[in-house]
Amino acid sequence: MILAFQLAYRNLMGAGLRTWLNAAVLSFAFVVILFFNGLLDGWNQQAKRDNIEWEYGKGQLIHTDYDPFDPFSVQDGHGILPTSAKENLVPILIRQASVYPEGRMLSISLKGIEVPQEILGLPTDLLENSKADIPTIIGKRMATSANLKVNDELLLRWRDKNGTFDAKNVTIVGIFDSNVPTIDNGQFWIPIKKLWEMTGMEGHATMFISEADQPVDVPGWNFRSQEDLLRELSEIIEMKKASSSIMYILLLAIALLAIFDTQVLSIFRRQKEIGTYISLGMTRQQVVGLFTVEGGMYSIFAMVLGCAYGIPLLLYLSATGIGIPEASQNMGVSLADRIYPVYGIVLILGTIALVVISATIVSYLPARKIAKMDPVNAIKGKLQ
Amino acid sequence: MKSLLVIVFSLIIGGGGDFPDANEILKKVDENLMSKNRITESKMVIYGRRNSRTVTSKGYSEGDTKSFTEYLSPEREKGTKMLKLEDRLWIYSPSTDRTIQLSGHMLRQSVMGSDLSYEDMMEDRELTEIYNAKVIGEETIEDRKVWILELTAKVDDVSYESRKSWIDQERYVPLKEELYAKSGQLLKRITLSQVERLDGRWFPKKMNYKDMLKDGKGTDFIIEKIEFDADIPDYIFSKASLKK
Amino acid sequence: MIEFLLKGILRDKSRSLLPIIIVTIGVSLTVMLSGYIRGAMGDITDQNARFETGHVKVVTRAYHENMDQLPIDLALLGVDSLQEVLSTKYPDVQWVKRTRFGGLIDVPDENGETKGQGPAAGMSLQLLDDKSGEIDRLNIASSLVKGNLPTKRGEALIGDDFAHKLQIETGDEITYVGSTMNGSMTFKNFVVSGTIRFGVAAMDRGTIIADIADVQEMLDLFDGSSEILGYFNEGVYNDDKAKTLKADFNQNLDAADEFAPMMLTLKEQNNLASYLDYVDLYSAFFVGIFVMAMSIVLWNTGLLGGLRRYQEFGIRLALGEAKNQIYKTLILEAILIGVIGSVIGTAIGLGITFYMQYEGIDISEMLNNSTMLMPTILRSKFTPDLLYIGFIPGLIAMVIGNALSGIGIYKRETAVLFKELEV
Repeated sequence: MILAFQLAYRNLMGAGLRTWLNAAVLSFAFVVILFFNGLLDGWNQQAKRDNIEWEYGKGQLIHTDYDPFDPFSVQDGHGILPTSAKENLVPILIRQASVYPEGRMLSISLKGIEVPQEILGLPTDLLENSKADIPTIIGKRMATSANLKVNDELLLRWRDKNGTFDAKNVTIVGIFDSNVPTIDNGQFWIPIKKLWEMTGMEGHATMFISEADQPVDVPGWNFRSQEDLLRELSEIIEMKKASSSIMYILLLAIALLAIFDTQVLSIFRRQKEIGTYISLGMTRQQVVGLFTVEGGMYSIFAMVLGCAYGIPLLLYLSATGIGIPEASQNMGVSLADRIYPVYGIVLILGTIALVVISATIVSYLPARKIAKMDPVNAIKGKLQ
Repeated sequence: MKSLLVIVFSLIIGGGGDFPDANEILKKVDENLMSKNRITESKMVIYGRRNSRTVTSKGYSEGDTKSFTEYLSPEREKGTKMLKLEDRLWIYSPSTDRTIQLSGHMLRQSVMGSDLSYEDMMEDRELTEIYNAKVIGEETIEDRKVWILELTAKVDDVSYESRKSWIDQERYVPLKEELYAKSGQLLKRITLSQVERLDGRWFPKKMNYKDMLKDGKGTDFIIEKIEFDADIPDYIFSKASLKK
Repeated sequence: MIEFLLKGILRDKSRSLLPIIIVTIGVSLTVMLSGYIRGAMGDITDQNARFETGHVKVVTRAYHENMDQLPIDLALLGVDSLQEVLSTKYPDVQWVKRTRFGGLIDVPDENGETKGQGPAAGMSLQLLDDKSGEIDRLNIASSLVKGNLPTKRGEALIGDDFAHKLQIETGDEITYVGSTMNGSMTFKNFVVSGTIRFGVAAMDRGTIIADIADVQEMLDLFDGSSEILGYFNEGVYNDDKAKTLKADFNQNLDAADEFAPMMLTLKEQNNLASYLDYVDLYSAFFVGIFVMAMSIVLWNTGLLGGLRRYQEFGIRLALGEAKNQIYKTLILEAILIGVIGSVIGTAIGLGITFYMQYEGIDISEMLNNSTMLMPTILRSKFTPDLLYIGFIPGLIAMVIGNALSGIGIYKRETAVLFKELEV
């Protein structure tokens, strides 16, 4: 077997340019597969990180009457959590309200959040440090759609717990830039204490963001774990992987086509050599093995070549990231400005296995012909 | 000189002592506006961004808690009926033959696209029941002298924490009303006009209702026919009458 | 000479068949892949186009300014004639009416009184019009959880989760309550023909999908619709075409009338502009990589093709043919093989690209959750460069490969050749 590898190595090195052309294409496929999957894994991780950082925390405890997709459930979906259960939970109270930028009426969700808090990325310190009567932070999407900027004041109208109207100016003290549209679109964030004061709903919350991993079990409240919250996102990434796999499967096919072509030719041209091996006492299967190893070795060369330019290139890309423009984020998918590819060990080993195995298979297919050759004719170099 | 000073002084102070008791004024207003029951035919003019519409209806009401409205035109609205009993509201639509109860958030929607919400329409308690009234001044509106009343909520569950009412000093009908948020922000303004003598009482036949936070001309209510203390059979205020 | 070589290529299968097959496969792969990359990179765009933006969209200016609030009172009127004008003037675009609306779904008990209510996020489209293609476009049939698609007026689909929450079964009657274009209160009964789930929670709650005619009637949108969306017959977005279309349509726009119909391109909506530029850049980059890879492969094929024929060249040299002459025929043959292979390959590649553009490959079966809103149909996109892109590896690279291997001819001594031949 060692002999087979040595022979294969010599033969390939001897073929010079042709070998390196094949290896180059295969290495392309190798690097592109790594890059694409790394990119998607990077996106996945980034999106998960973003959602955890901005929205999910380590899980959410939601009032049973509140349904995040039913805006009307905000009305009654809130309550007071027993003090004993409040450990590691950041309360958020949501109320319906209206704002009036430029004489238009916009319905918004007014969200009170505990200040200070550290579990979510919202710049709540701006709320804490502001001297404004009702300091508000909004996301960049909200700011764009209502044409608002920092230090703008606008009228907010809400109702207190008895349904009595109240209206006051709020001051935009900060505009945050988050990749997560669901905490941005149509929302105004203010300190929860202020909202309690404004509505007379002292102590009430619609939901809590958990700072700890363990589930909280309180009657009247549902706990949704981080994993549960991230499920939809994972499905989208899975879909993306399937669609990009077509691309690199085709690229791999191109590379394998090259190896196949080379194998056909080398078996055709090296019949004398094949005849000689057999007359020297090698079995046909051994000769088939020798040629298969030779073809499969392209994948090793490709690996070496791929590493030579791939490692620096991929490392560079994972450090600088791939710029993603501000695309539509209406589909509820978090997409960062830059995605940093991540190359996991499973991905790398899996790709190596894919390339080596597929290269070996396409090398074996033409080599099977050897088994049918007549050694006497082969050694004479007669075409068969 | 001294007497002049007294006059000026008393003007500055506001001459509070000269104002009648606010509750007395409201009582007289109620005598004009309230009745055991009434049947009205009215039209509502809604000024939209694109076009304006007129909706006519016939309404029956008894006290403050029961009311029944049937829409007469346009064709679209014809036959739609609305029944309010206490704090519940049902709407019947002839096209679907369905009686739908409106609750919670739906009550905050606007009525037929007007500046008025169902909730505004459903406020059925007497003003004196939920507000403390005080006369804070006088003014002239369209050549008529008016008292300015300030009403401050004395109960918790009101939509508007305070109101201002401009009441004709002679006829005791409101000519203008403003509704305020807790913070003092003006939210809505109601302008009343076409005050006429009907059945021995003064009654404003036209009312403009305007959401002050939004652009637009608001909504007009015009009473075309009104009958006080009529004979309204009880079945009118039952759910069965919706389907009739 | 060329005729002679062509005959040679056609008759000598061993000399030409394998190279032609390789070139054909290689070229078709290149074309297909380039088309696929362009399609795949655009899938976010595609998704937006299908559900929201169209390739182009016609709305009133007033509607456009308040688009987030779905202001049906600012909808387009006279849409039937507008749609007809559009169809006549721009026949290579499919025009469909859509109106999105909010409201309330009310479920009756046996006495016809309210049993349950929930907020509705409605979408009305030309559901009953087979020619509109909307059912495929929005992936409605495959998103169906229970029941059937509406087959007649008065039927509607509702979100599956919503149906669960309000305990609605297919065949039940529900009532929509909402406001008309004029703000009047409106009611309409629908029979639930089926329930639907797109897989994205935000889309699935409160969804009601009904035919546009029902909704026009319900919302007093007589001959009105909030939007008319245009979809290019090619199935994919083409910004130049959209811009031309827009410029042509909007040239008669009455600037004073805020309710005059105006056209928007996909790129102008939903912040898609920068995304599209990005897609162009990156797909060009990846197409470049593939063309390069394929060029290397076919260059190699060219090299092999030359090497394969050393014996033949030996004999021809022995017979006294000039080296130049042999080299020339080698190159000419390579060109012929390259052209034949590239033409066939491009044709095959384009065929597959067009198939994948119009039909697509449905991979929803491959996914655990087949009810995703994300596109589960893979599509390619035809661009004019696909017509020639295959010739770069198929012809140029192949000829260079042959040319390089042919240099060997000059190095060979005739004597050595004879020795190699061992005749």
